[in-house]
Formats: sequence, structure tokens, C-alpha cells
Amino acid sequence: MNKRMDLIDLAETPEGQRDYVAHLRQLCDGAGVEHATYAAANPVTGTLHAFTTYPDRWKNHYMERGLHNLDPTLNAAARSVAPVDWSRLERTESFQSVFSEAHDFGMPDTGLTVPVRGPLGETGLLCICTSISVPEWRKLKRHIMGDLLTNAVHLHDTVMNSEPLMKALRKPRLSLREIEILQWVAAGKSQQDVGDILSISSRTVEVHLRSVREKLCTISTPQAVGRAVSLGIVHPG
Amino acid sequence: MILVIDALNRHRFGSIIDDMYQLRARVFRDRLGWDVTVQNGRESDLFDDLDPAYLIALDDDYNVIGCNRMLQTTGPHMLADVFQDILCGEPPLRSATVWENTRFCVDTERLKRPEVSQTVSTATCELMVGILEYGRDSGISDVISVIDPLMNRVLKRSNNAPYDYIGKTVQMGKTRAMAALNDCTD
Repeated sequence: MNKRMDLIDLAETPEGQRDYVAHLRQLCDGAGVEHATYAAANPVTGTLHAFTTYPDRWKNHYMERGLHNLDPTLNAAARSVAPVDWSRLERTESFQSVFSEAHDFGMPDTGLTVPVRGPLGETGLLCICTSISVPEWRKLKRHIMGDLLTNAVHLHDTVMNSEPLMKALRKPRLSLREIEILQWVAAGKSQQDVGDILSISSRTVEVHLRSVREKLCTISTPQAVGRAVSLGIVHPG
Repeated sequence: MILVIDALNRHRFGSIIDDMYQLRARVFRDRLGWDVTVQNGRESDLFDDLDPAYLIALDDDYNVIGCNRMLQTTGPHMLADVFQDILCGEPPLRSATVWENTRFCVDTERLKRPEVSQTVSTATCELMVGILEYGRDSGISDVISVIDPLMNRVLKRSNNAPYDYIGKTVQMGKTRAMAALNDCTD
């Protein structure tokens, strides 16, 4: 199995019409998992953003019982740097109480939480879960982890930028090197060409382009060029 | 042995964290002469309050012989806030799949003792490989490390040569510092 997830673009949909739950469903299909949840508190306004593909009966029960206050897949995982496999949490009392109830609702307890740290010190969480066997899960996890991280940051940035104040505070700041590389890409040069022109390795070009794409909240390099042109950061090719 | 300590398990490793802070004081203040805050012989800063992940190298008697600190580059981290000189005032890389490695050091004094089986090179190497493996298993593809020229030479000699550097090498205390990129994919 050599599965790769796609990065799902949120920018295609205009703000206000974005269906984050449908986005999460698409993400689940791409990753080959059953459910996904995103949660974050806006650090400035305090607004809580949460979306999930869980069925309503579990969602309602979870909210009524206030399980989010207890749930270590949110609370403990939010303090991690690396993605947290839920097996790391399963011996805790809080995990047992949340997931014994989840079990009654037929919800799986194999999954992981990706914590995303934002520039203002806020944390966004992307959780996925599945009922496949543990060995299968380990295999799947290895293949999707990198893409899951990129998806999580893209989703988090999009949600945070959906408020005008946050968008202003989070204005992308590109370095001269990043702009230089993007300008050559806008002129039609390949990654290898850009590396040769600037006497840097192709991987250095790649890591800068990855940073540029994420800073501009875009999923592809051509899209990043487009956005950079519209922001006046680079000149059209 | 390499131990990964983060906010989820650090309550179980209080004394090891304490040893790490002492090692950092000996290395970054005493040996490298960096402008760091040391209290009671222990070096720590505000990034230690941000729930970083530490990789800690231990010898056979569980003495701390090396350590580092990892943070995501999407949130607050040292290159964004403290090491502007290295980046010449430029904004840092920001990516979901790039982590920052700082306070990367080994205990050169202890490693020179005859009874210790590891050397400065093997300990540095083991710690770097641990960092890259931990990153890889977490879906990370590149690690950017703030290191000094000595560390850079050790890494180059031990097959862990950085593939590039960001910004420039700057004077920092008694030594110089640079930001190096390492690939952590297979």
C-alpha cells in the first residue's frame, strides 16, 4: 500500500459558503479513515471553532455530557509538538471514561490528534479515527502523516483567517529568498533550474516553496504564484 | 539511549529535565558564552514554557549526555523571535512539515572521561539521528537546527551533513551560530 492523501483546497470556496464538515468528509475519504474533527479557539476573540463528521447522536451526547472538558485527545494532545497517537493516552482515566461512552455509540477509539501551533500561540486540533486493526492503522498512519500535517495547517490557517482581525494579524511575511525563488518560478523556471540559478540545492528550493505555499495559504505552487502576484509580492512572469 | 520528553510525559522525568537544564547552563553560558538566562545553575527560557519536545541522550548510568528542543515552525519558535541575526532580519520558514531544533548540545566534559563509552561524535550523531527519526515518524520532512561550527563539523564528519544553511553564520558569544537544514525523509 502506498497511499497518498491529496491536499484539499479550501480557498476555492468563497468565505461564508465554506462547508467545513464536507471538507472534513473529503479529508476522511482521502486518508481512508472514518471520522475527522477540527477544533480551535480564536486567540483574540475567544470564539470556539469546531467541526466534526461524527453522527449527531454522538455529537449531542458528547456536548450534553461536556466530554470535551475531559477528552485527552483534545486537552492532552493540544500540548504536544508531534501528532499524538491515541494509544499514548489510552491508559489515562479520562480516556477510559470518554471512550467507554464512545464505544456505546459505536465510535472507534483508534486514531490520532494533530496539534497545530499558530503564530499567535493558539492551537488548532485535527483528530482522525478509524476502526481498522492496529497493524493496518500503523501502516496507514505512516503513509498519511505528512499530508495530514499539511492539511491540518491549511485548515487551521483558513479557519483563523476567516475573521478579518485575525487575517490582518496573520498577514503572510515572505523572506527575500522565498520571494526570489517564487519570482523565478513565476518566470517559468523549474525547481532544478531555480536551484542552478541561485546555486542552492533543489531541496532548498523545495523547502522554501513549501513554506511559501503554506504562508500564502495555498495548496499548489502555481496558485501561490497567482496569489503572490495579486498581493504585489512578485511580478507576473 | 534517547528519551523523548514532552508535555504529556514530563511529569515522570523531573530529575532528567533538571539535569538537562544544568547541562544547558554549562554548554550555552559557560562554554559557548551565549547570552542566556541561568538561575541556580540551570538554563531555561520562555520557549521551555511553550511545551516543546525534548530529545535527551543518556549514558548507561542514565546521566544526561546530550539534549535538544523541538518546536513547530508554524507557531512561536526561536528563529522567528530570537535568532533574527542569523536570518538577517528576514522572516523564517514556516511549514507544517519543518521543525526547529535548538539548544542542541552534548556534554563534552563527561564524554571525554575514560569511563564513558561514547564519544562526542557518537553522542552527537546518535542524538541527531534520534531527532531525524522522531521527525520522520511524526510526518516531518525537514529539520532546521541552530548549531555552532564545531557541531557542524561533527555532523559533516558523521554522515549527517546539513544539505544547506539559511541566512548567515553570525558571532554569538565565544563562538558562531548558524541555521542548518537536514532532510529527515527516508
